[in-house]
Amino acid sequence: MKIENTKAQMRKGVLEFCILTVLKDEDAYVAEILDTLKNAKLLVVEGTIYPLLTRLKNAGLLSYRWEESTSGPPRKYYGLTETGKLFLKELNTTWNELQNAVNIVTNQKKHQNE
Amino acid sequence: MNKTVNINLAGIFFHIDEDAYLKLQRYLEAIKRSFTDSQGRSEIISDIEARIAELFSERIKNDKQVIGLKEVDEVISIMGQPEDYLVDDEIFEDNPQANYKQPSAPSKKLFRDTDNSYISGVSSGLGHYLSVDTVWIRLLWIILTIASGGTFIIIYILFWILVPEAKTTAEKIMMTGDPVNISNIEKKIKDSIETVSETVTDVAKNVSESVSGAAKNVSDAAKKVDIQKQGNKIKSSSKSFFDTVADIIMFFFKIFAKLIGLFLLLLGAITLIALIIGLFSVGVVNFVHIPGIDLANIVMAGNSPVWLISLLVLFFIGIPFFFLFYLGLKILIDNLKSIGNVAKYTLLGLWLCSIIGLAIIGIREASEHANNEHFVERTQLTIKSNDTLYVKMNHNDIYKNPYRRRYSFKAANNSAGEKTIYSSNINILVRPTLDSVASINIEKSADGRNYEKAIERAEHINYSYHIESNVLALDSYLSTAVINKYSDQKVEIYLNIPENTILKFHNNTKNFLQYYTNNDHVVSTKHVNHFITMTTHGVLCDFCVDEEKSFEVKVDSPSIKINDSTVEINSDGGHVKINKEGLKAESKEIKVEINADGVKIESDN
Repeated sequence: MKIENTKAQMRKGVLEFCILTVLKDEDAYVAEILDTLKNAKLLVVEGTIYPLLTRLKNAGLLSYRWEESTSGPPRKYYGLTETGKLFLKELNTTWNELQNAVNIVTNQKKHQNE
Repeated sequence: MNKTVNINLAGIFFHIDEDAYLKLQRYLEAIKRSFTDSQGRSEIISDIEARIAELFSERIKNDKQVIGLKEVDEVISIMGQPEDYLVDDEIFEDNPQANYKQPSAPSKKLFRDTDNSYISGVSSGLGHYLSVDTVWIRLLWIILTIASGGTFIIIYILFWILVPEAKTTAEKIMMTGDPVNISNIEKKIKDSIETVSETVTDVAKNVSESVSGAAKNVSDAAKKVDIQKQGNKIKSSSKSFFDTVADIIMFFFKIFAKLIGLFLLLLGAITLIALIIGLFSVGVVNFVHIPGIDLANIVMAGNSPVWLISLLVLFFIGIPFFFLFYLGLKILIDNLKSIGNVAKYTLLGLWLCSIIGLAIIGIREASEHANNEHFVERTQLTIKSNDTLYVKMNHNDIYKNPYRRRYSFKAANNSAGEKTIYSSNINILVRPTLDSVASINIEKSADGRNYEKAIERAEHINYSYHIESNVLALDSYLSTAVINKYSDQKVEIYLNIPENTILKFHNNTKNFLQYYTNNDHVVSTKHVNHFITMTTHGVLCDFCVDEEKSFEVKVDSPSIKINDSTVEINSDGGHVKINKEGLKAESKEIKVEINADGVKIESDN
């Protein structure tokens, strides 16, 4: 079992949530979303994001508009829809619960080890 | 030095090295294959292309810079390998249950299953594709092959050539219709570990390792199921009405297209089979003699081999229908292998050759009829002026249907057992002569490519007649050996009759006489069955009736009755009746009857 693969899969598990979070306050185009995610080391390769964005868009959580670019092809600016916002809210709650749960579990383990 | 290619990526123009271009193309192709249409493939691809274009633009300093392998490799490392695109299918599966129902049909593809094959895996592949047990497909092939006399083998071979073999694990999964995802790949590979060689096992190890890594994460994701469920609810309600309508319309379009495909497939297959069976049975006659079918050979006066014509016709008609068949198959099966340009152009070339070949044969056959030559035999008959000549037709048992003139021909064995062509293309022409003795001219004619050939064929026509005392018996048929072919062989019998000869043509000559008379032939069908006298200006006939001029007489009064069959007169003095039976005349004193029994006269006195 390769540790790298496990890490990658774990990151990918929360990717959907993170993309929605990035788009919470303002619309962004793919490269901007990618920059944020790459900075956070959440994403290693860019390819993963495209099927994901399409899926979120098809699910009605995201919408996009075209914007001309000075350096390259026109860009798709993604933004959250109303359902997307609701969805994100729910995810946020669950994430907090999850984080809490993981913290409790890991802290207990630490405690026992000490 | 390197050759460059110009490409348009998301609307931006790039110069790219040829090797780099090929690499990029392969990369995009690989990504394309890792998605299905239901995932929004075209949209994902265009997004990816736009991103690649952007990454390229960042790396280009001026307009003249060319993109090389280095840049492509960089971009690929940023974007990730095709596998990276695939993996999240499992984790982010929105709606696993729906996914099992929905894509099983459309994502299923036809491959040849060489793992479970007897010959080439066509049957087991079709079995997977149609979700039918392979045994039934094999049975169907066998039945169809036997029923079609072996020609279905050709359809099988077409499938063999055109349907690709399932080589990769992904293809094998697609073949069985399971969605390509990690658990299925793992399952498939676990199956193969037990059976297939070690090389596969190595690959399996790699994949199953990554899979078990993923499996752990899946269990994490399982915790999120609650969230996903709620997400699904929102999604399903928000999916707009128009999306659904569009889906339904697309669905019907697809079904319609498949129906057209099926129609083309069947049309092509049936025509090909019919053509092959039909032409094979004609073509084979040349080698295996089947009685009755070699008529085709007789008509071909140009000696063009029948098998060659069969082959040309097969190409001429078969190739267009093969393309129809191929088109139908292509519509039905998405991942059909191309038959390749070489094959396409070869077929096109063959088709053009067949047209030219048929045209040449056509011209050759036509030229066989370019010359029509006569061969004349003249014989004196012992018929003199004032004699009576009876003319009748003599028929032959072998050549049936003897008294009806036919321009067609028939092939049969003659009394010596040799194959012979028979025809009834015979005319009787009667004309007056100033000679004191009657004579008969037998004029045989036939077509040929040139004068010699035509004369030779005309000479080889067998025709005979007999004269006994004053009865002339003419054969109602002519015959010639098969090697002479049927080339419009014809016999014209000229009877030169001295003046004042009395002629009687038997009823069975009617079909061989002309309908009208002119200076050259004075006896027509209306003279049949009557005694006629020859004069310089034609024949005299006392009782002949022009069929056209005959009219009906009908008188019906108390004293006189006249119609087609009877003349009856009733008067005070007596009664006369003439009909088929004879004549009956009665008066008060005398009674006269003439009929088949004789003449009877009764008198009261």
